[in-house]
Amino acid sequence: MIRFDCLKLLEPRITDQLVVTSLSGQKIEWASLSQHPGNLLVGTMGTALGVGIGLAIGLPQRKVIVLESDGSVLLSLFNLATLANLDPKNLIVFVFDNQVYSGTRISEPTATAGKTDLTMMARGAGIEQATTVRDLATFEQEMETALNGTQLKFIVCKIDESVAHREITRTDLDPLENKYQFVRYLERTEGRPIFRGRG
Amino acid sequence: MHLEVELAQKLVSGLKQARIDLVTYLPEIRLSQILPLLRDDPAFTLVPVASESEAVTIGAGAALTGKQVAIYIECTGLYVSCYTLVSIARRYGVPLLLIVGYLGSMADQRNNSVYAVSGTYVEPLLQALQIQFQVLEDGERLEADIQDAVRQMHALKLPVALLFSGDFTR
Repeated sequence: MIRFDCLKLLEPRITDQLVVTSLSGQKIEWASLSQHPGNLLVGTMGTALGVGIGLAIGLPQRKVIVLESDGSVLLSLFNLATLANLDPKNLIVFVFDNQVYSGTRISEPTATAGKTDLTMMARGAGIEQATTVRDLATFEQEMETALNGTQLKFIVCKIDESVAHREITRTDLDPLENKYQFVRYLERTEGRPIFRGRG
Repeated sequence: MHLEVELAQKLVSGLKQARIDLVTYLPEIRLSQILPLLRDDPAFTLVPVASESEAVTIGAGAALTGKQVAIYIECTGLYVSCYTLVSIARRYGVPLLLIVGYLGSMADQRNNSVYAVSGTYVEPLLQALQIQFQVLEDGERLEADIQDAVRQMHALKLPVALLFSGDFTR
């Protein structure tokens, strides 16, 4: 199973959900598949899950999907305890765990290549609906359950390393442009202003 | 001695008047009296976190949904949150009000060797991060100072910091 195939299954299922991406590879892949205005292409290590938690708290009636990675989650492990205790029912977290720091270009292993199990860590933190998937059929099944459900889900997807994203043209969406696109989309769909202050 | 109840009430009242409605926090020692007041007031959503780093990311996510966000942390938490202040709050341009217990500052009334060195770097750090800040030592203009900071954070679409020292540290 590779991440791009998982994302290809997820993309047609996006309607009004908000999607937050983590760092480069999945950001590039997701942006190539989806130009939805509800995408927030964060693209920095250890930050997407926190931002997604904030979005989920701010819009409890709306589904928020976070695309994370093993290296990124490992950088901000405190997120797991906070997430468990806040328990936002509208949040789905997919952790694409390829067991390497792919961005290093030398495939330096992460802790999950060794003894560390992110699903067990999530459960230990108190996230009850934490599970591991290892094949595409199970991914699709868990994805559908999560999209149709009303519980916090934390799905660790054990994937093979793929460098397919290096062949994809990167999005040229600037962070500020991305923010305003995202915020204006929320203003349209939520029917209220987001930012205050005089223009 | 603790932060005077009256001053804590004034601080919380100021946040409310400035329409702050969500506070992410990692508790510290100087301003902690505001927490029960915030918790008891339904105008505020309180979000406890395990690291100041995620106080910023969670706060930023909430701010992008229209929440008016304050982040209440100890000044040493600014060191912890440097990365997310730069990579999320500044890079995306997110309005956030940093409410910072300024331990180790010159006017910190309980300053000691544990905090003094940490306090030394707070203002240069905020300057390096290009985060505007104001040091408050008494509650004379507290509500107006909070209003000013909130207006500035919305105008800039960036974090703005209030550093609490002096009477707030008794």
